[in-house]
Amino acid sequence: MTKVEYWVKIPFGPIHPGLEEPEKFILTLDGERIVDVDVKLGYNLRGIQWIALRRNYVQIMYLAERMCGICSFSHNHTYTRAVEEAAGIEVPERAEYIRVIVGELERIHSHLLNLGVLAHDIGYDTVLHLTWLAREKVMDTLEAVAGNRVNYSMVTIGGVRRDIDEKRRRIILDMIKYYKEVFPQIEDIFLHDPTIEARFRDTAIISKRVALEQGAVGPTGRGSGIRDDARWSERLGVYPDLGIKPVMPQDITGERPRGDVFDRMAVRVGELWQSLELIEHALDGMPDGKIKLFPKDNVLVAKLKLLVDGEGIGRYEAPRGELVHYVRGKKGSDKPLRWKPREPTFPNLFAVAEGVKGDQVADFVVAVASIDPCLSCTDRVAVIENGKRRVLTERDLLKASIKKTREINPEIKGDPTPVGFGCSR
Amino acid sequence: MSEVNDNANVEKAQEEVKEPTKAQRVAKAIAERFPNAQVEVKTNKWGRERVWVRIDRESYRELMRLIKTLDGEAHYSIGIEQDWGNELGFLSHLVIYYDDAPAVSLIVDVHCPKDDPTLPDISEVFPIALQFEREGMEMVGIDFENAPDKRRLFLPDDFPEGIYPLRLDDKGVPEEMVHNAGHPYYLKGGAKK
Repeated sequence: MTKVEYWVKIPFGPIHPGLEEPEKFILTLDGERIVDVDVKLGYNLRGIQWIALRRNYVQIMYLAERMCGICSFSHNHTYTRAVEEAAGIEVPERAEYIRVIVGELERIHSHLLNLGVLAHDIGYDTVLHLTWLAREKVMDTLEAVAGNRVNYSMVTIGGVRRDIDEKRRRIILDMIKYYKEVFPQIEDIFLHDPTIEARFRDTAIISKRVALEQGAVGPTGRGSGIRDDARWSERLGVYPDLGIKPVMPQDITGERPRGDVFDRMAVRVGELWQSLELIEHALDGMPDGKIKLFPKDNVLVAKLKLLVDGEGIGRYEAPRGELVHYVRGKKGSDKPLRWKPREPTFPNLFAVAEGVKGDQVADFVVAVASIDPCLSCTDRVAVIENGKRRVLTERDLLKASIKKTREINPEIKGDPTPVGFGCSR
Repeated sequence: MSEVNDNANVEKAQEEVKEPTKAQRVAKAIAERFPNAQVEVKTNKWGRERVWVRIDRESYRELMRLIKTLDGEAHYSIGIEQDWGNELGFLSHLVIYYDDAPAVSLIVDVHCPKDDPTLPDISEVFPIALQFEREGMEMVGIDFENAPDKRRLFLPDDFPEGIYPLRLDDKGVPEEMVHNAGHPYYLKGGAKK
């Protein structure tokens, strides 16, 4: 009798307490050992590319921003770069510095979030609370700088929307001072705590070969020894002047990269410090001047109709890795003919699915969290509701829930009519 | 004396300009190997060079193999499926020679007619390309010959056959399937060609 007889296939997701977002893995197990992983995506599909076929360049900026809350700046920024390349627009230097500052603030908040999630997944909730408490400071700073905790709307085609004045600059400097006291604690826990080392070392190893084959990017790629950072290899904006270089695990741990969860986490800890440094340099080196080329959005729409003719590629290092946007437009139309984003989670997910083979099933949650997956980014693609099915609106759902409650308990008292108008859709 | 110096400087400057960049060297290597390919190095406003290659589908896989031999650590970053009107296209962006900055940004475009929408599969050269090909198969209906996995990736299994959401022609999403797609105003029709 062959061993295949004892293999079990179990679905992991789309809704699972160990996963932050809906994604489905079909694990083939031999006892506790993972033999094979199959990935199924599409549980968060909103049809953004299809919607984009019906929007103009400026509207897509807001659409791109809402693909994902955590990396909303990255998507908006990369899309903007792609349009700027297709239209041949050069951005004022001050705007480039402001883009760096907001981008790095976002990176700090994203990395702190992921470090907390990693700690939570191994049941180390003290560390979750420590990192997420620290994260509040950068969220407040972002709110003070951009007006929002997520979806900052800072970038526009041809510059940025809001300036960083003296008051905002002081708030950011305050934040840097705070983090210089807090980051050593976080670094100490993540790099030297025996519990974390026991769970993260040699877990879900993505070898350099697998990382190259599956095109792993960002901390996942660098953790496996691929020395690439899109901000650096693209010579993006003013990043070369600020002294950007890829953070590798050996810079943090002093050992050669092993490609395990620990190395990916160590890269993130290193990037927290790097981001802080970049923000400091950017605040020092920021020149005076204009922050955007076109004063109003209606001018921008009219200009882009004439300027965009051809294709443009935008490349940026989002917190999770290299982000690519492609835009193709035609002169005379205010809509792009094609816009496609590729999120870092897409290749990373397939890389980690290869990486966990041979590991224990208990490590799977940590392995998936270690790439910092962002499924709402990845599942952006197609549309629709089947013509035969009916779309349930908020009102229908409310009616159905009232009906169900009455079925369960016919005696129920109270008026279920919603107060106010609710959502118009 | 000064004139001589000036001339020397000008000559030196010209020599510096003539030194080909990494992108130009890659473009030359591709153009020499594939005389039929349209190879162009475009520089954008902030001085970033990109190599744009348009290749016919017969030489597509060979070109990918050449890129892999140029740089064994070549990074396949995105595959973009699109509807060009009477043709379907698949465009790939690759990053090569990224051991020092700036890396070479290489874009490979390949087209196929709509009545014969087949392209060669390149997942043996770049395994991650398979996932983008799966997306291309379900979104615009390009058939990648001999792709090892032709299942759907994003679309649900009960999505009707023969409808490709990102097609701009009558194989796209018909009006009656759309429930206003979350837009506050009812919009008729799709993007104008």
